Amino acid sequence: MKFEKKRSQTKQEIPTSSMPDIIFMLLLFFMVATTLKEVEVYVQYKLPEAEAIEKIENKRLVSYIWVGKNGRIQLNDAIVQVEDIQDIMYKKRVELPNVIVSLRIDKGSDMGIVNDIQQALRKADARRINYSAMLKQ
Amino acid sequence: MVQIKKKKERDVKIPDAGMSDIVFLLLLFFLVSTTIDVDTGIGLTLPEYIPPEEQEFVPLSKDRLAALNINENGDVLLDGEIIAIPQVKETLIPRIESKIDLPKKKKLVVSIKTARKTNYNLYIQALDQIKGAYATVRKAYAQTHFGKKLYELNKDENKELREKVPIIISIAEPERVK
Repeated sequence: MKFEKKRSQTKQEIPTSSMPDIIFMLLLFFMVATTLKEVEVYVQYKLPEAEAIEKIENKRLVSYIWVGKNGRIQLNDAIVQVEDIQDIMYKKRVELPNVIVSLRIDKGSDMGIVNDIQQALRKADARRINYSAMLKQ
Repeated sequence: MVQIKKKKERDVKIPDAGMSDIVFLLLLFFLVSTTIDVDTGIGLTLPEYIPPEEQEFVPLSKDRLAALNINENGDVLLDGEIIAIPQVKETLIPRIESKIDLPKKKKLVVSIKTARKTNYNLYIQALDQIKGAYATVRKAYAQTHFGKKLYELNKDENKELREKVPIIISIAEPERVK
């Protein structure tokens, strides 16, 4: 008796023609997702370095204050004066009771301006702060 | 008669088998090169604002208080003695440790005071030293009492740790300009 080899006639191939499309989708997702929420920073600053630093877990709670080399202050997306911080932060705190203020202050700044900002924040009752710093290598 | 040759139809195709590889490379490039910027820094909770007329003077016993003064020239004083910033951590660790078993009211209070012209970087370095000292003590406590790393602690253990080794950093009220 003769055995016939059983072999299906259909092609045994996984269709790969749409593979690039799928990966393009992934690519697009990453490209879009990683550039979300960019705030333009108008001040020049260089962060100090520290060792005992921690991450801010919840990014949605964060408000940013930048202090540049020339002492300019930016709050979230606009340049402000020290006197304005209290009002703006107070409104912010009403909206978002446990707001964290991330202070991105140039390392060459004086403590005077830092103290002024801190006093404004205390008056606005936005007392959770975070001195932004890079990890010391 | 000239015979017109019929053009042969050729099978024209762009090879697209390697397409997915190319796109994979692109994807990997973006995955690697985009850094989702993480906010890192030194966390702190500022004290509540109390208007000057309502401020009360609370006396603190000498051995509870570690007063760190930084002046505009960058000199650092710890309890009145000149100290280099990198030594602050080592100096504070035994002082924090000696107070682990004391009640809440007797824990160490670290106070930082700066002048208006003090450099911000120095202040951060000092704060970093203090935070580092507390982190070292907490780590040691977690290791000896629970046999765990800091991040492995459960809720209750964390609570106990926070009670035993609370981080009390006081930012001195800035002096009024006269």
